Amino acid sequence: MVHLDQAKSQPPLAGNGVQVTSLVKLARDGDRAAFGRLVELFQEPIFRMVYYRTRSRMDAEDLTQDIFVKAFKGLSKLRDLERFRTWLFRMAVNRVTDFYRKKRLLAIFKTRDHDSEADPKDVEAQQDPSALDDVIKEEFWKLVTSFSNTLSRREKEVFFLRFMDHLSIREIAQVLDKSESAVKTHLYRGLKKFKEDASLLQLLEASRP
Amino acid sequence: MTKKKEAHLKEADLLQAVVDEADLPASLQEHLKACRLCRHEKDRLERALTELGDRAEHFAPSLRRRVALPVRGSTRRALPWYWNWRRTLVAGMVTAVAAVIVVYGAISVKNLEEAELAALTQEMWEDDLFMIEVSALSENALPLFCSDVSGESYPDFDEEFIDFVVPSTETDLVSCGGGGVKC
Repeated sequence: MVHLDQAKSQPPLAGNGVQVTSLVKLARDGDRAAFGRLVELFQEPIFRMVYYRTRSRMDAEDLTQDIFVKAFKGLSKLRDLERFRTWLFRMAVNRVTDFYRKKRLLAIFKTRDHDSEADPKDVEAQQDPSALDDVIKEEFWKLVTSFSNTLSRREKEVFFLRFMDHLSIREIAQVLDKSESAVKTHLYRGLKKFKEDASLLQLLEASRP
Repeated sequence: MTKKKEAHLKEADLLQAVVDEADLPASLQEHLKACRLCRHEKDRLERALTELGDRAEHFAPSLRRRVALPVRGSTRRALPWYWNWRRTLVAGMVTAVAAVIVVYGAISVKNLEEAELAALTQEMWEDDLFMIEVSALSENALPLFCSDVSGESYPDFDEEFIDFVVPSTETDLVSCGGGGVKC
């Protein structure tokens, strides 16, 4: 288990920020290998970020692919190289929003794609040999879903970015294009609801040694 | 412990401390540093949040399909497989719509030309009729019923016939013999 103090002391994502900035500079100048290195560093966190919001591995993989393709094409537009990480997360947040917008539209027309697609969670459960792990995992995600349903859209985004994606308040403000005080307000409200959610809190505290 | 220190943090302050401890008033920050109970409450909540992040990461599946960069100068391979047939379908539909518009447009233009030609012929015919009428009026501007009065309707009655009907006065004087003064 990682305590918050330990988590705070962890370097932001892919290690050295200076290294990331230099890679971004090289990639922006057309160095594909540098961009490939950036992909290696950020693909897992971005994939997880998308997965937390879609709960589908297949969708998360597709969206992660799209996000990096967009990043690759739009890297020349990035002015502040040090903001690559927040720029990437912003793109991911927008992409997930688009995904849900399209999904709602498809649900209205009930296209074949939507109806015939097997539930990715079921597919995943079939592939995973450990049934007990599945139960624990399912219970956890069920409680997270139930908790996130109590949050407003903005509260959920801020809460997830802070405590699941480990972004700082300043980074969240950059990602969502909001002031830091607005982010703190949403975070405060989210935390209040988190503290009131006894079942999730109980599960998290019970699992600690 | 002073009285000030004994006043523990309220829940709202505790949540505020988790959001950003620096936003708390200085007195509460001091209390938080000194009070083990309040510190414990704050740490407890923070540990739960850390656990949430850790579990989410642990229970999230691993990325099986690694990100593939688009081929230099082309992005086709990076797109999902279903994207191509969708694009083809859309392109086909657009082409069909364009073809319908072109055919319909051509037919409309053709119909329009025919209609225009017919209208033009009709207009020319009407112009001809009008000019005939104008010519007739320039010949004789009087209406038909006035022609009887003016004698225009009897064009065959020439001067010889009129003289026969109404002889001139000169003829009358000659015929009257020697008694006439004028002779």
